Amino acid sequence: MKMRGSDSSRRFPRAFTFGVVLVLYAAGAQGAETPIPHGTLELVAENRWVNPGHGFYLGLHFQLEKGWHIYWVNPGDSGEPLRITWQLPPGLNPGVIEWPVPRRLGTSSIVDFGYEEAVTLIVPVHAESSLAEQPLARLGAEIRVLVCREMCIPGRTQLSLTLPVKSRPPAPDVRTRELFAAARKDLPRPAPQNWKFSVDDAKDSFVLAANVAPQVTQAIFFPLAEAQIDNSAPQILQPLASGFRLTLRKSDRLLKPIERLKGVLVLSGNHAYLIDVPVSKREAQKNNSGT
Amino acid sequence: MKRSTLYPLLVTVVICIAPLLVAAEKVGQAAPAFTATASNGKTFRLQDYRGKYVVLEWHNNGCPYVGKHYKSGNMQRLQKQWTGRSVVWFTIISSAPAKQGYVTASEENEYLVKMQAAPTAALLDPTGEIGHLYDAKTSPQMVVINPQGVVIYDGAIDDKPTTDLSDIAGATNYVNLALEQAMAGKQVETPATRPYGCSVKYPDSTH
Repeated sequence: MKMRGSDSSRRFPRAFTFGVVLVLYAAGAQGAETPIPHGTLELVAENRWVNPGHGFYLGLHFQLEKGWHIYWVNPGDSGEPLRITWQLPPGLNPGVIEWPVPRRLGTSSIVDFGYEEAVTLIVPVHAESSLAEQPLARLGAEIRVLVCREMCIPGRTQLSLTLPVKSRPPAPDVRTRELFAAARKDLPRPAPQNWKFSVDDAKDSFVLAANVAPQVTQAIFFPLAEAQIDNSAPQILQPLASGFRLTLRKSDRLLKPIERLKGVLVLSGNHAYLIDVPVSKREAQKNNSGT
Repeated sequence: MKRSTLYPLLVTVVICIAPLLVAAEKVGQAAPAFTATASNGKTFRLQDYRGKYVVLEWHNNGCPYVGKHYKSGNMQRLQKQWTGRSVVWFTIISSAPAKQGYVTASEENEYLVKMQAAPTAALLDPTGEIGHLYDAKTSPQMVVINPQGVVIYDGAIDDKPTTDLSDIAGATNYVNLALEQAMAGKQVETPATRPYGCSVKYPDSTH
C-alpha cells in the first residue's frame, strides 16, 4: 500500500509535466503577439522544428494601427530601422534581415522609406550540425523599433518562442506558411541577367540607364545607402525604345563621389529588382572639360 | 503591402516639392540669410552675426531624439560650452501650429527655464520658412556657420542615430568636431552627414 501510494503520487507530477510539455509543443512554434507602440509584434518560425546542419527562417511579424509605420533598412530622411539583439542557443547563427520592398512615405520635402499596416521581416538562421537534439529550445530576441505616424514613439520589446531540435527533415508550420509566402513575394529579386544597367555621375544627378524590354512607363529607385540621392526630389523617367533612363537628384549631403549605386528598383507592374551598378564619371568629365 | 498606391503618391511629391528645391543651402556655400522672432520677443538677423560662429539646432520638444539630448543634459552642455566661447547658438522651432513641437513664445520660455537650456535664443519658425531655407529634415538637425557666413557643417548631432540616452557617452559629436577643427584653422573632416531624428513638422508634413 505504501509503495503504491508513493508511486501514484510520483506519477501525478510526471503526467502533469508531460501535459505542460504537450501544451508547449502545441503552442511551441510561434511566440505571442507582443504589444509595441501602436501595434503588435510576433516572432514566428517557418518550420515546426530546428534541424541541425540546416538553415531555416524566423520572421518578425508586425501589425500596425492605421497610419503608423516602421522603417526600411535605409529609413530615408528621418526615422530609424529596427535593431535586433538575438538571444539564441549556441549553434544557432542568425543572418541579416531580408528586407521587403518599402513604400515611399510622405508627400512633402521629407520622404521616408518604410512599411505600413502589416509586414513580416524574415531572417535566415543556420543551425550547426553539432546542435544537440532537445525538446524545447528557447529562441529569443530583443527588438528596438521606432514606430511613427506624424510623431515617433520608440519601442523596446522582448520576444521569444520555443522550438524542438530534431535530427529529422523539417516540416513547415501551416500556421505561418502564408506569412512567409507573402514576405518572400515582396522581396526584390536579382535583375534578369540580360538586363544591362549603367549609372553616370552627371554633376547634380545620377543617371541610371537600363536596356529593359518591354518599355517601362513607371520606375522608382530606393537607395540602400543613406544620403546618396535626394529622397524627396522627383525621379525623372525617360522611357526609351531600348529601355529607360531614370534621373536621380544627388543629395546635398553627398560631398564625395560614390563607387556604386545600390538599391531596389521598382518598375511598372510592381516588379522589384535589387541592383548594384558601378558609377561611371564619363558624363561628369565631359561636363568639367566643357567648363 | 499596397504598392499600387505608390505611383500617384510620387506624382504628388513632384508637384509639392519642386519649388522648395531651389533655395536650400549646401555645405561650403553661403548660409541663407534670415530674420526671426525669438521666444524672448527679440528679433534676430543671421547677417548681424558675421564674424562669429553660429550654430543652428532644429528643435521639437515632443521628439524622442530631441528628448535624448535634453533629458541627458547633452544639448544644454553643448549650448553652455560653445556660447561660453562666443559662439552664437540658435535653437529653431519649425513645427507648424497644432503639430508636434509647436510652442507659443511663453511655452518655449518656460521650457528653456525648466530644461536649463542656454541657447543665445530660441527662434520661432511656425511657417517653416527658415527650416525650408536650410532644408532641415529632422530634429535635432545641426548646422554650423563660420565667421565668413559659410556653412561648414550640416547634419546629425552625432554618429549614434538612436533614442537611447546611453548612446551619448560613446558618440562622436559632429558639432564639437566641426567647431574645434574650424577654430584650430583646420578643414572640417566631416562637413555633412545624414541628420537623424523626427521629421520636421512643417505645415504640409504628413508623417
